[in-house]
Amino acid sequence: MSFDELEHTADVLMRVRGATLNELFAEAGRAMFSVMYGPCEERGVERRIEIEAENLESLLIDYLSELLFVTEVENTVFCTFDVDLRGTRLSAVLRGEPFDPARHSAGTVVKGISYFGLEIVKEEEGYVVEIIFDI
Amino acid sequence: MLTGINKIGDLEWEVPIGYVPDMRVPGRFFLSRTLAETLEEGAVRQLANVATLPGIVKHSLAMPDIHWGYGFPIGGVAAFDMTEGVISPGGVGFDINCGVRLITTPLTEADLARRKRELIERLFDAVPTGVGAKSALRVSNKDLSAVMVDGARWAVERGLGTEADLVRCEGEGAMPGADPDAVSAKARQRGVPQLGTLGAGNHFLEVQVAKEIVDPEAAKTFGIAEGQVCFMVHCGSRGLGHQVATDHLRTLEGAVAKYGIRLPDRQLACAPLDSPEGRAYYGGMVCAANYAWANRQVIMHEARKVFAHLFGIDYDEMQLIYDVAHNVAKFERHDVDGVSTEVCVHRKGATRAFGPGAEGVPSEYAAIGQPVIIPGSMGTSSYLLHGTTAAMQKTWGSTCHGAGRVLSRSKAKKEVRGKELRERLAGEGIVVRAHSDTALAEEAPAVYKPSQEVVRVVHEAGLSHIVARLEPLGVIKG
Repeated sequence: MSFDELEHTADVLMRVRGATLNELFAEAGRAMFSVMYGPCEERGVERRIEIEAENLESLLIDYLSELLFVTEVENTVFCTFDVDLRGTRLSAVLRGEPFDPARHSAGTVVKGISYFGLEIVKEEEGYVVEIIFDI
Repeated sequence: MLTGINKIGDLEWEVPIGYVPDMRVPGRFFLSRTLAETLEEGAVRQLANVATLPGIVKHSLAMPDIHWGYGFPIGGVAAFDMTEGVISPGGVGFDINCGVRLITTPLTEADLARRKRELIERLFDAVPTGVGAKSALRVSNKDLSAVMVDGARWAVERGLGTEADLVRCEGEGAMPGADPDAVSAKARQRGVPQLGTLGAGNHFLEVQVAKEIVDPEAAKTFGIAEGQVCFMVHCGSRGLGHQVATDHLRTLEGAVAKYGIRLPDRQLACAPLDSPEGRAYYGGMVCAANYAWANRQVIMHEARKVFAHLFGIDYDEMQLIYDVAHNVAKFERHDVDGVSTEVCVHRKGATRAFGPGAEGVPSEYAAIGQPVIIPGSMGTSSYLLHGTTAAMQKTWGSTCHGAGRVLSRSKAKKEVRGKELRERLAGEGIVVRAHSDTALAEEAPAVYKPSQEVVRVVHEAGLSHIVARLEPLGVIKG
């Protein structure tokens, strides 16, 4: 389970890996929050989300877009993402802390998740996806 | 230079039909040899992909700040036929009506001398910036509906500006056709607390001095003189716009199959202009664009108050020169093969640059053409230009929008240290205030193409002409 930032001049391109799809989605959430806020600790904030889409790629975009919405309107920063995928239906428990400008200002706003080149690929050791975050 | 591209003029290049399959028209872009060295193949492919969209008229275009984005390249411009054509959020971007405004003050650099740091600190206190920034304005859901329809006028009617400000905005600070029903509850929730906030990334409020007047006649008309202190606001429609783009991209994804459109890139999801999905996106996009004009109006108002209080000058002595959008799709009349025709012009990281006498240019600027504002990267020159007749003929009245990045964010963080950058700029007399030094590194001048080269190309290609060069004195960033 990992994410790496790849070269992209305009936006942020992340390669995300997970042994399972659940891990892949969890790691994609972590990757996005690392862009937005930098370090985060679990401090009692817990939130559940449920999403359904017609395919896995759209589900990933909808899930990340939902995280963007929740973090912004609820002023929360999430660090762990317990994802449970059933087909193209997702429920996730998000844990983190309230947004604190003093500690969470090292990142930048993610404006959206791009569909460009987004494809979840099954490899021998798990799954990989490259995601462009518009910043 | 990349292969498969033809040079057709000193600064003009053509991407022939066939560069990617299914192109309906050729691509055209404007670039000097120096800028061509950093041109990415991916950006040219994106330019060519746009040429495959139904109803595209004449060319898929890109300005000299072309670079690799998603959907359209950044710097991309394309016009679509109103009957056969499509509208695409990928041709506008997530930050709907990201734009720039430039305001003059009666002050000179000497007036600021010992109080520059204080000015920047006060501006930083007055204008919420950065991730998580919330506005001091109390906006109700009903207010938000009015903002989305009336744009900058909403703010002016509440005393946050003057009637004169409205005349000096592209489209008088609002586009017609807003459809608040096409804006989701989620977008509204994000929009309510953020009106009057700058945001993060490359958004900024910068105090500048007009260092060089290149075109004295145009400068006089625009009301700017050498040595004059100005300020520039660069931001967009915040979370509301991002959510409108996200929501409609999703709907339009479904529309692609429904209307039998073949796409080379999912990010180019679109629908016919004359379809329920296309109309809904347009109506929602207009709401976000109008929100952005109100947003910049509120920020300008707060900055004016800071200047007035600190330097004892009148609010009315700070004149808005103009406000331009650089991420938007608009219905405009243009000459198509000798016939004045309405088309839907998408500009993604490109600025409208209407020439003398064009419809939509404020009457006081009609003889010169509209002001065009090109922000530099942090610590580098910004430019005031004017639109031209050549732009009307070649680029649907469009020009560049900024410098264009050359270095990724990850490389920038490796090569530039925010603290050192802040100190170096301070050594050059530029005061930088941001929430974090890390965020500064990502926006360092070295990560952008030199703005003067991009501006030189649009000037020499005739797409807009330089009026004045502005240099930074201080900046607040997210």
